[in-house]
Amino acid sequence: MSNIYQPDLMTITKIIQEAPGIKTFHLKFQDENVASNFSFQTGQFGEYSAFGAGESTFCIASSPTRPDHIECCFREVGKVTTALANLTEGDTIGFRGPYGNTFPLDDWRGKNLIFIGGGIALPPLRSVIWNCLDLREQDGRFGHVSIVYGARSVQDLVYKREIEEWSQMENVTMVKTVDPGGETDDWDGHIGFVPHVLENDFKPDPENTVAIVCGPPIMIKFTFEALERLGFKQEQMVTTLENRMKCGLGKCGRCNIGSTYVCIDGPVFTATELAALPQEF
Amino acid sequence: MKTATLNKSDLGKCIDLLVQADLRVIAPRLQPRLDEDGPDAIDVLTFTEVDSGEGHQVGEGLLPLNGVKEFLFAKHEPLFAYEKRGKKIEIIPVHHEYPQTVIIGVRPCDAASIASLESVFSDANAGFEDPFFTERRSRTTFITYSCTAPDASCFCTSVNLSPDSAKGSDLHLTEIGDGRLHVEVISKAGEAVAKQLQDLLEGEGDQAAREKAGAEVSEKLTRIRDSAPIMDWLMDTANFDDEMWQRLGEKCIGCGACTFACPTCHCFDIVDENKGSKGYRVKFWDSCQFDHFTLHASGHNPRDWQYKRYRNRFNCKFKIYPEKFETPGCVGCGRCIRACPVNLDITEYMAEVAHKAANPSAMKADQDSE
Repeated sequence: MSNIYQPDLMTITKIIQEAPGIKTFHLKFQDENVASNFSFQTGQFGEYSAFGAGESTFCIASSPTRPDHIECCFREVGKVTTALANLTEGDTIGFRGPYGNTFPLDDWRGKNLIFIGGGIALPPLRSVIWNCLDLREQDGRFGHVSIVYGARSVQDLVYKREIEEWSQMENVTMVKTVDPGGETDDWDGHIGFVPHVLENDFKPDPENTVAIVCGPPIMIKFTFEALERLGFKQEQMVTTLENRMKCGLGKCGRCNIGSTYVCIDGPVFTATELAALPQEF
Repeated sequence: MKTATLNKSDLGKCIDLLVQADLRVIAPRLQPRLDEDGPDAIDVLTFTEVDSGEGHQVGEGLLPLNGVKEFLFAKHEPLFAYEKRGKKIEIIPVHHEYPQTVIIGVRPCDAASIASLESVFSDANAGFEDPFFTERRSRTTFITYSCTAPDASCFCTSVNLSPDSAKGSDLHLTEIGDGRLHVEVISKAGEAVAKQLQDLLEGEGDQAAREKAGAEVSEKLTRIRDSAPIMDWLMDTANFDDEMWQRLGEKCIGCGACTFACPTCHCFDIVDENKGSKGYRVKFWDSCQFDHFTLHASGHNPRDWQYKRYRNRFNCKFKIYPEKFETPGCVGCGRCIRACPVNLDITEYMAEVAHKAANPSAMKADQDSE
């Protein structure tokens, strides 16, 4: 009897403190068979468990083009994430997944890509950013890549070293911003909310371009509106949702938006798909 | 289809025969509730495991307080055990018993709900099979019993069922007068049970008498609502923001009684029950009516008002189930109506939706004049 609720065990091989209260884990499967059979695509998520506290839902924050280990990145906010944050390198966690649909990379061939994220929403984008950058390096299948990323303050920015790396890369435009008041004396990025900076400072050209947005629901809403004013059509806008989940398997009844289960039918949606759903997310 | 007759007075003997055949038998009985051994105990019709036919209430009363849901989808069950040893974790499978089970005296509404639960928990749903449900389901046989006395909360005929429906049944019993029951073998599992009961079954049934009895009971149903237009109306996302939801949903207090009483509600939570370095990961019934059910870690809540949670439940019954799982979300048992402490009545929503669906322009005019 195979038990869909039973996680595989993973070892935390590395912990990175990304920002106050935000950590990245590098994870490797303990069972060789599980490790060799595991594969995922960008956009998918998992259920991560701290034994004794329970499970939490996070995206897989690493790229499938870098299969040595998987990564997750989380903010310490509740019971499970606090228990996870208290673990140290070498400790064991549980993982179920990968679940959900994937970013439609095949549809993006030959197009320019703009990734737009806020706060702790960079991890899902970071998986697809590296996936696209790695594939572009292999065969040039994508055009120009832009990354618009903001957080409340400079210290709240995650993946700071990678933001620097992206800034240095050719064919990548890195636009970083912090909310007003969150800047430091030596801050060299923008000051302002992500949708505002996107619309008024960056002003991307919608021609042959796809915008991939991730953030809290309110940020997604305002970013989509800004993109529409810039001339983007709904089918050029993609997002990933993370509603509260428990099972990740379409059974526990928590993550649905109308008849659409984010865990099974998502988490990746186009703006066209979202517009057809009841506006309750 | 094979039919037979059975004396109603032999139902107790039927249970005895099934118990003697080493089957786990679940039957309705009067069980003390509330103050179980004290002076305030009240006897309530309840599905319970029995070891003989003594005191059974098969065919008596109306609906047991609990449906058959808890015998397939446990209220609370461990999924596995774990033990921490330094930096390592050991996962230990939990041994569950799945005895061959017969549930006797199941009313047609409860029997019809099984296919709905199955559509959520079986691998027909996105390829993920909940083995705890499917193992129990595959070992459970349902002996159903046509209703004789529906009450004022019953509305099965409003949702394409009937008080004598054999949907979801394995062996179906209908009273045909003179203390006799018409017996129908519906499935292979029902045939196997009929074999255990063969000494009590006689000749052939009386199909005409069975149909007449069913029709007579259907006529006793007073609460008739037209559910046909409901799904179409709900499919129009513009109606998701109809003023009705807030108006009718305002009195809901979010206690979740309707969801725990409902035979098709399937929501659950998963948590760790931990003691020292060991524990169990458990799955247990939860309710979409609770305010933290969809609460994000950020504090954002997509269903931040109680009426939105009630709207979700109504949509789940009449849109999500039929659209996503292709099974009925409501079987008209009326338990949610009986259980509700503030008399919130799902059929009032059904009637209002049917009215709005039939009179779209009139409703629009009403709103405009307001």
